[in-house]
Amino acid sequence: MGAVKPPLGAAFLRLFTVQGSWNYDRMVGLGIGVAEEPLLRDLRNGPGDGAAYRAAVARGSRFFNSHPYMAGLAVGAVARAEHDGVAPEKIERLRAALIGPLGSLGDRLVWTGWLPLLVGIALTAISLGAGWAAVAAFLGVYNVGHVILRWWALRAGWRAGTDVTSALRHPVLQGALTLVGPAMALAVGCALPLVARWFGWAWAGMPALALLAIAAVGVGALRFAPGFFNGPRLGIAAFAVALLVGALWR
Amino acid sequence: MSAEVVLALLVWGTLVGVDLVSVPQMMIARPLVAGTGAGLLLGDVEMGLRVGVVLELFQFDVLPVGATRYPEYGPATVAGVALAHGIDGVSALGIGAGVGLLLALLGGLSLHVVRTSNGRAVRARTGELEAGDPRTLMRVHAGSMVRDVVRALVVTAAGLGLAWLAIRLGAAALPAPLLVATSIAVCGAALATGSVGLLRIVGRGPNLKWMAAGVVAGLGLVWVL
Repeated sequence: MGAVKPPLGAAFLRLFTVQGSWNYDRMVGLGIGVAEEPLLRDLRNGPGDGAAYRAAVARGSRFFNSHPYMAGLAVGAVARAEHDGVAPEKIERLRAALIGPLGSLGDRLVWTGWLPLLVGIALTAISLGAGWAAVAAFLGVYNVGHVILRWWALRAGWRAGTDVTSALRHPVLQGALTLVGPAMALAVGCALPLVARWFGWAWAGMPALALLAIAAVGVGALRFAPGFFNGPRLGIAAFAVALLVGALWR
Repeated sequence: MSAEVVLALLVWGTLVGVDLVSVPQMMIARPLVAGTGAGLLLGDVEMGLRVGVVLELFQFDVLPVGATRYPEYGPATVAGVALAHGIDGVSALGIGAGVGLLLALLGGLSLHVVRTSNGRAVRARTGELEAGDPRTLMRVHAGSMVRDVVRALVVTAAGLGLAWLAIRLGAAALPAPLLVATSIAVCGAALATGSVGLLRIVGRGPNLKWMAAGVVAGLGLVWVL
């Protein structure tokens, strides 16, 4: 495939909209198809008046689900497989096989790793007085990682084709997975007491103690009655009780 | 609030709403960012940060995997900051964040409506999509994104409308004890949600000791400062 110069740039830009048509029927399938389409255009010149191109576009937009930042791996790998003339049923199997690993990897790396790690650092910085600069730094640093991951995924998928599992074993990726979990736990763990102090500075004495008491009761409710309470329900219940107490407090 | 500021908040809330799922997922939808942005637009960064931090802790309850349904905190945070700013004073935080929580549930419901509507659009074009027509693919995809823009705009407008109505009805004259009580309650619930959310992410594995080390470090800093 050395002669092929894939329009990775167009596919990369379209990957930012990969969840734009998210639905319960095909999940991110349509977005994957949209991102894959520029990489399939060479197939329009093939035999059968572009039949291979249309068949590939149709396959590309069927049901798929993955972490949005890792979707590029599937887009690149499947487009490359289509170019390599891999049998349609093998491509369908490749797509199906990628759903679980791409979702799991992305969730561990980003949703429960990189993102809460940086949120924890930002919360710590804010509670130490860094103000909006901490938020700006969070946004900048997070998106450096975000964009690099999306670009790497697309390129690695295109390079690997059906051997995409080799890309998933990349040492940098595996190293990041090892480090990001502990770092996240440390950062958010550190942030929570500091944020509690930051909340409490305006109310010394009894109100500050009430804050800690409500937090402790809330932890108990969320841990021991998870079927009844979740975060928003707890917050709204606390808010409603406080409105009542505050209105009666004279 | 001038008309220009309201318009700017409406645009910001819409961008924030679209960022959550559709495009580009750069995390301006996080309450921390959405709140700070709204605070900057209102000239009240401190309130934006405070409401943003509270709702950010509630966001720890959410793990957006698969077809899970979850509240949408971005536009809700923008409206919450607008309301708290209108009431004025540190203790307005509770009313802003509390109303923000209610709006977040409304936002989550609107996401479900748009996703169902996207599914209907896909089913209506299944034949062309299965024939590999790229123009249909682009049209259905773009149409879905337009739906999300409209959804985010409507949710933000509803939130800002509610904030405006609350201020017109006298929210700014609410007694101080009520403001303090709501702030303490919502901040306490946020701390609980953030703590339990972190525990859920960390699990019972080896990261638990790193979390414990972090909490000890945080308490040490609280002691020193």
